[in-house]
Amino acid sequence: MRFEYQKAQKPKENSVQTGVGTSPLDLKTIGKAIPCQEACPAKTNVPGYIEHIARGEHDAAYRINLEDNVFPGVLGRICTRVCEDECRHNWTNVEGPVQICHLKRYAADHIANTQTPLAPHFGPSGKKVTIVGAGPAGLTAARELNRLGHQVTVLEKEPLPGGMLVDGIPAFRLPRDIVAAEIALIQDGGVTIQTGCAVGASEMSILIEENDAVIVATGTTLSNQTTIDGVGDDETQRFTGLDFMKRYNRGELPALSGNVVVVGGGFTAVDCARAARRLVSADSAVSIVYRRTEASMAADKNEFKAMREEDVAVRTLLSPKRWKTDGSRGILVCERNVVKAGDTRRKPAIETLNESEVEIPCDVLILAIGQRSDPRILPNGIELDGIRTSKENLFATGDFEGTSADVITAVASGKKTAQVVDTHLMGQTRYVEGVRVETTDCDGETGRFRDHDIQWALPMPMLDVVGRFENQAEVETGFTPEIAQVAATRCYLCQYKFEIDQDLCIHCDWCIQAAPRECIKKAAQIYCDDDGFPTKVFEAELSKDTTFIYIDNQDCIRCGKCLRVCPTQAISMKRLSRIGCVKLDS
Amino acid sequence: MPKKLTFTRRSEDEDIKAAGLFLDFDEMAKKGAMQADDSSIAKWYGIYKSRQPGNHMARIVIPGGVITSAQAKNIAGIAEKYGQGIVNVTTRQALQFHWLKVGNLADMLRELGEYGNSTKHGCGDVTRNVTACPLAETCAYRRLDARAAAVEMAEFLGMCRDLDDLPRKFKINFSGCGADCAQPHINCVGLSGVIHNGVPGYKVVIGGGMGWKPFVAESLFGFVPHNKVKQVCRAVAILFREHGDRFNRAKSRLKFVVHRKGIDFCRTEVISNLHTENVSSDDIIVEPVTDEGVPFSLRPLLDDSPQGTDGQHTVRVIVPKGELSFSTFYRMAELSERYANQRVYTSNRQNLQFQGVAPSDVKALESEIRALGYQTSGSFTLSDIVSCVGTTYCPKAVTQTRALFDIVQRVVGEPRYESIAQSGVINITGCPNSCSPYRIADIGFRGMRIREESGSVEGYEVLLGGSQTAFGQKLGEFKLSDCEEMLRLVLNAFVAVRISDEFLTDCVNRVGLGYFEKAVYGEI
Repeated sequence: MRFEYQKAQKPKENSVQTGVGTSPLDLKTIGKAIPCQEACPAKTNVPGYIEHIARGEHDAAYRINLEDNVFPGVLGRICTRVCEDECRHNWTNVEGPVQICHLKRYAADHIANTQTPLAPHFGPSGKKVTIVGAGPAGLTAARELNRLGHQVTVLEKEPLPGGMLVDGIPAFRLPRDIVAAEIALIQDGGVTIQTGCAVGASEMSILIEENDAVIVATGTTLSNQTTIDGVGDDETQRFTGLDFMKRYNRGELPALSGNVVVVGGGFTAVDCARAARRLVSADSAVSIVYRRTEASMAADKNEFKAMREEDVAVRTLLSPKRWKTDGSRGILVCERNVVKAGDTRRKPAIETLNESEVEIPCDVLILAIGQRSDPRILPNGIELDGIRTSKENLFATGDFEGTSADVITAVASGKKTAQVVDTHLMGQTRYVEGVRVETTDCDGETGRFRDHDIQWALPMPMLDVVGRFENQAEVETGFTPEIAQVAATRCYLCQYKFEIDQDLCIHCDWCIQAAPRECIKKAAQIYCDDDGFPTKVFEAELSKDTTFIYIDNQDCIRCGKCLRVCPTQAISMKRLSRIGCVKLDS
Repeated sequence: MPKKLTFTRRSEDEDIKAAGLFLDFDEMAKKGAMQADDSSIAKWYGIYKSRQPGNHMARIVIPGGVITSAQAKNIAGIAEKYGQGIVNVTTRQALQFHWLKVGNLADMLRELGEYGNSTKHGCGDVTRNVTACPLAETCAYRRLDARAAAVEMAEFLGMCRDLDDLPRKFKINFSGCGADCAQPHINCVGLSGVIHNGVPGYKVVIGGGMGWKPFVAESLFGFVPHNKVKQVCRAVAILFREHGDRFNRAKSRLKFVVHRKGIDFCRTEVISNLHTENVSSDDIIVEPVTDEGVPFSLRPLLDDSPQGTDGQHTVRVIVPKGELSFSTFYRMAELSERYANQRVYTSNRQNLQFQGVAPSDVKALESEIRALGYQTSGSFTLSDIVSCVGTTYCPKAVTQTRALFDIVQRVVGEPRYESIAQSGVINITGCPNSCSPYRIADIGFRGMRIREESGSVEGYEVLLGGSQTAFGQKLGEFKLSDCEEMLRLVLNAFVAVRISDEFLTDCVNRVGLGYFEKAVYGEI
């Protein structure tokens, strides 16, 4: 045929035009498109719920979180926010990331009171699962397995379910009614929780016999120890972080006297210091002693601010050496450290300086230098191997399994364990992750303008420091609707993906001229990996070298201008959403 | 507090407009540069940015397409002084200068004004140049004088300050009869002369337009008496002002309002707007009326030297690519003084014409024009090609339309196509904005780039069989290097099946596009 032209093949970014795709290409595309969701261990659809918040649809926002991360109200307060580190606002260095976590809490604070459990994925399987430990990982695995149709019982040795949520984290950061409500929602779905039910190795052997699957989710119950010369065993003067927080949270600690030093730089150390401040008199000093710098500590900006306000001193680059007394007052002698030159890691190596002692008043010492799991719960001869064990129907999750360190990774671990257990129970993998691709019909109108990119981020309101120490009052009071609105509109809404149909594009460049940033590029060639995922774009300068006009969704601000100026309707806007459970045809 | 968060659904252009529609070109000359916001507002002064950075285009508004010889000489002088000696005729009967520098704009505007020439509202979101059918007052088929009506309309709406900030441009045109030489169906408001019960008036259609999304205008009123047409157009403008989309400029034209809201809604609004301004709608008829005028020819513009009802002739100057030198343009003004009615007329096929030429002077004038290197015959034929400026000046264009113009002109000028010369027109546009309305031509070319294995080349989407009321059908996309061969194949196929003096569009409708596809792609 005359005038039949050979054209470069169009790069594809999804395996389906619309519908649900489950290919590696789909997952790679959504992973690159939505960096916050990709960073979230539980793969929370962040832009999806923020868009609902911007529209005032709090229940819808809450349900998205509930689906993805199980504890929206809890995580909205205490999440470690790895998503925010990946937010595209960081790349452009404008006013810091979207306050994803605070927004999650805002939605959770503004839902209708009655929430129903999430719908099950599968009907009853007749399989019985017992989970030991009602912490975040155990409860997540329980909820997921319950939705997969299995009969789930959770055994908890403490009087209250929640694990670290109630025993580790103080109520002034995480009110207990929030925890209780979200655990109740899991129970409403059909999960049985038995508290006061300690399980040892012998009980475990029986459970393994009686259940189709057993999951150990007992977390890290043992504190790391270190020897500091001169520190005795006096239980009113020497604590481990875990023990201190547990007793504090149960109201078992008396008022402390004298100066307090917390050793460590993790979450527990900060919680211990702030809790100790609530137990000592105003003239006592509370200090954190940490061997690296503030940048290596787990605490976020708001926590440092809170510590500053609460008069908790953070003393860094110090390692405790020995404890001594000076009359009636105790003193912790520390040595100074320096960061090893040239080490730019988040936790760099350090070197101790000789002859560099620093004395810190210290009557009460709290060692919060990490914790580990207690393997004694495993019956003899059973070895742990990640989520699995040498016993085929015994599994592990959360901190006990060893890959998690905080609540969000525990949730992720719980979800992952649930799938492995489901496959074991049913003899086949019944579901996979997928990506829903939807077309939109709104002329690219996402409600976003360039103005939103340069919005000022407003801080989380906090209780006045006067009165903060009464009744374990929650320090962060939550976003007001006005602040939430500002915060929500900053989100780039990365779930929307603009695409150019290369067969309709005439290279008029109008989209490039309308683009607010260098988000649309001329490409000479686009190289793809074996999955068809574009990995390298060679940009073109001249029209004659331009094979494709290419929208770089990494730079896209979702203003929709390109779509609206396109004279051939070559540009479309798709909505991508990750689905945790795409049922496979058996 | 947040820097700015209005949640107003309004385009950035609307924000710029809201800040004021005034510019100080003297101040700009001092600064030596036009800021981005300024260049948006400069459109209200008829000034656009050119493709070449630092250069500008100015569009002189010529209501009805008529200027005096003195105005024409003024324009020629300014083209020489500021515009590198070039004058361009547009398809909406305006004239354009290119290559203008920021420092000269203020002086240029002043010097134009000395002779009553103006670029005001040449561009911008206002009522644009009001056009008329080219023959207008001399045409034998006229129901009334479309040119006089266009001039009056331009004056009337130009005085309406409440219509300075419309959502987008607003185009009105007048045809003297139902032959619709002014192309009413592709304008916001199209008016075609009709006589009803002995009263001259207009059939009114609204919501037509080319651009990236074409619409054929829909009938608003079957008959509006001639003395009420200004108020009706104002009422339509108010409808547009109130209902046009101010967020998405690509969808803000009146055609989208009509499409979105429906013609019945628009009609009710227009009548309500008339009543608000105390204009009675009693003598306006919604349904089509029977025209009592003389029967008209389908393509009146084909006549080379039409004689008007006053016995005087119209003589045309076919201006290739619509571009003349300042000296030629000056000479045209002189010729109009020597042989015609001291006026120079512009046509919607980018040509010039003289009117009021005495029968005895026609030959002399024609030979004077030919001496300047221009044809006087061939109006509205295959060789009367309309091409936009393309990448020569326009920042929006994708292709160099003038290169294709030369190719097409060479092909259609071949002797074997002489027999079909009067069978259609060819329009070439460099981008989907359709400044040269390619969808209504017998053969339409629209510029694009065609992707290759690596890189891309200039090409054209080609439509066949377009008319004002039914747009052309897509034949295909062709690289520029293939356009010549493709055009020959189309014309040969047409020659083979043409019945008597059939127009190409009629032929396409008769035999179907498939016949031409087979002829071109070689499966016949």
